Amino acid sequence: MRSYHQKPTNPLERRKFLINGARWLAGGIVLALSGFSYRKSTAKGSLHFWQIDPSLCTFCGRCQTDCVLSVSAVKCVHAVKVCGYCDLCGGYYRANVKELNTAAENLTCPTGAIQRKYVEDPYFEYTIREELCNGCGKCAKGCNSFGNGSLYLQIKQDLCKKCNECRIARACPSNAIRRVPISKVYDLKE
Amino acid sequence: MQNRFPKPDFESGYLYPEPHYPIPHEALWSYIDVGVLLLLMSFVAWAIIKKQVRWPVTLTSVLSVAYFGFFRQGCVCSIGAIQNVALAWTTPSYSLPLYVLLFFLLPVLFALFWGRVFCAGVCPFGALQDLVHVKNYKLSKAVTGALSTFPWIYLGFALLFAVTNSQFILCRFDPFVGIFRLGGEGALILFGVLLLFFSIFTGRPFCRFICPYGAILGLFSQISFRKISITKQECINCQLCHNACPVDAIRPPYVNKVKERRAAGVHRILRYMIFTPVIIIAGSTVMYVLSDKFSKANKEVQLYEAVMQNEARPQEVQSLELQAFYGQGRAKEELWTEVEVIKKEFRIWSGIIGAFIGLIISLTLINLSAKRTRKSYEIDHAKCVCCGRCFSYCPQNQKNIISV
Repeated sequence: MRSYHQKPTNPLERRKFLINGARWLAGGIVLALSGFSYRKSTAKGSLHFWQIDPSLCTFCGRCQTDCVLSVSAVKCVHAVKVCGYCDLCGGYYRANVKELNTAAENLTCPTGAIQRKYVEDPYFEYTIREELCNGCGKCAKGCNSFGNGSLYLQIKQDLCKKCNECRIARACPSNAIRRVPISKVYDLKE
Repeated sequence: MQNRFPKPDFESGYLYPEPHYPIPHEALWSYIDVGVLLLLMSFVAWAIIKKQVRWPVTLTSVLSVAYFGFFRQGCVCSIGAIQNVALAWTTPSYSLPLYVLLFFLLPVLFALFWGRVFCAGVCPFGALQDLVHVKNYKLSKAVTGALSTFPWIYLGFALLFAVTNSQFILCRFDPFVGIFRLGGEGALILFGVLLLFFSIFTGRPFCRFICPYGAILGLFSQISFRKISITKQECINCQLCHNACPVDAIRPPYVNKVKERRAAGVHRILRYMIFTPVIIIAGSTVMYVLSDKFSKANKEVQLYEAVMQNEARPQEVQSLELQAFYGQGRAKEELWTEVEVIKKEFRIWSGIIGAFIGLIISLTLINLSAKRTRKSYEIDHAKCVCCGRCFSYCPQNQKNIISV
């Protein structure tokens, strides 16, 4: 106490000391935080991508309307090895169509993105033209209701912006859209 | 998987087409992003600490807006990374990508060593506002003082919704990402355009009054090892730098007219500090009481409420969420136990974050009452975004150039 009275500490010196202490404390906190966070992160398994789990998807159509892109990054994909190659395709034709022809009023796809090609009697091959698909999921709904479910929705990773807060994941009524690691960027049916 | 129709037996030698699913070179891009981040921050640090010139900051701003903004289009950014780090801490099932951690950490480290060099022009949001800034009108001290607590409150809520795995509100209400992507939510783009319009007349409204990451960096910048200084010569109190500063970070000289012994001043501050616990407890209580309302930001809680409403009064047209819920055959009880856990988390975290907000408010109030005498113009390093506008305004720097 006595030495304190004899040699009063300079307030500026004291402030310098405090700031120095705060610096090292902050540095320590940052290091500890980064060390701990680093243990939480694994480069391979880190969840950085968004993908639809087809087993949970209800084909509600919000993927088309809620994606931040003007044309959704969600596209219909076709599992050829699951497809039955039917003539009367639940994904291609609307329910209860009168005639099986390619007139637009008979088809489910609003943008004409599904093309079909005759293979051999009675089989038809269906292909999705990705540049036309808007991810509305109408064909996937039809295929799931009446067919094998070979048409389903997936987020195309080359189009997806990987928003930190995915808008369609928030809008999804069945929580089918989840963060996935790079090893599982597609949830494919085949 | 249902198999209503058997796999066809092709006789014509038909071959299944090979589907193509593009996988992005994400690893490569993340390295490039971190590299560009490091490079630009080092460039700015060198320019403002060592050389005291502004042109590299302008150049960095243009590069950052072009690269991080229009080319990489926003995600993941350092501001949003706060939430990923917070989520990783509380949710074991979420594993944090390493480069997201780096995006959060590197600007903080740079702030600890050289100040807010990230804000200067490496952050595309700051850069965009800085580039459009033309005329500097100062806002009144009361307005800036009140608004500067908002980033901390925003941070509190961002953490609350991130740790409960509900929403990333910093990303959801991001005003600039829509501009960089040339598309997005109309209201947010309008908000972004308005912010840009205001930043023509007053510096960086987003950075000063909204950005929570800037607030965090400000903390570290205050105690950084090397600090930006306006001039290496002596200040002649000409006021030019003060007028030029877009973010009001240069405090004018001030003579404290209240003559008060140091000990008395310390005691006065200590007396104010007695109120700190009161404000903290009040903040914590208010947030705790409101936690039930906050929990409605969580999708599972929303779903549960919709289900309960439907059970009480069955609706004729069920929402898509209800259809999905009943379609999946999920049990109501199972959802309820899940929601109970979420609501409990919300109560705990609301309390903690309420205390945090209380602390921020009380520290702000205490800070207002601490009046320090300044003999010359001084930089407030918490606010300074290292844009470097003051360098060329300082006549002492001009003299230096002429003498060379």
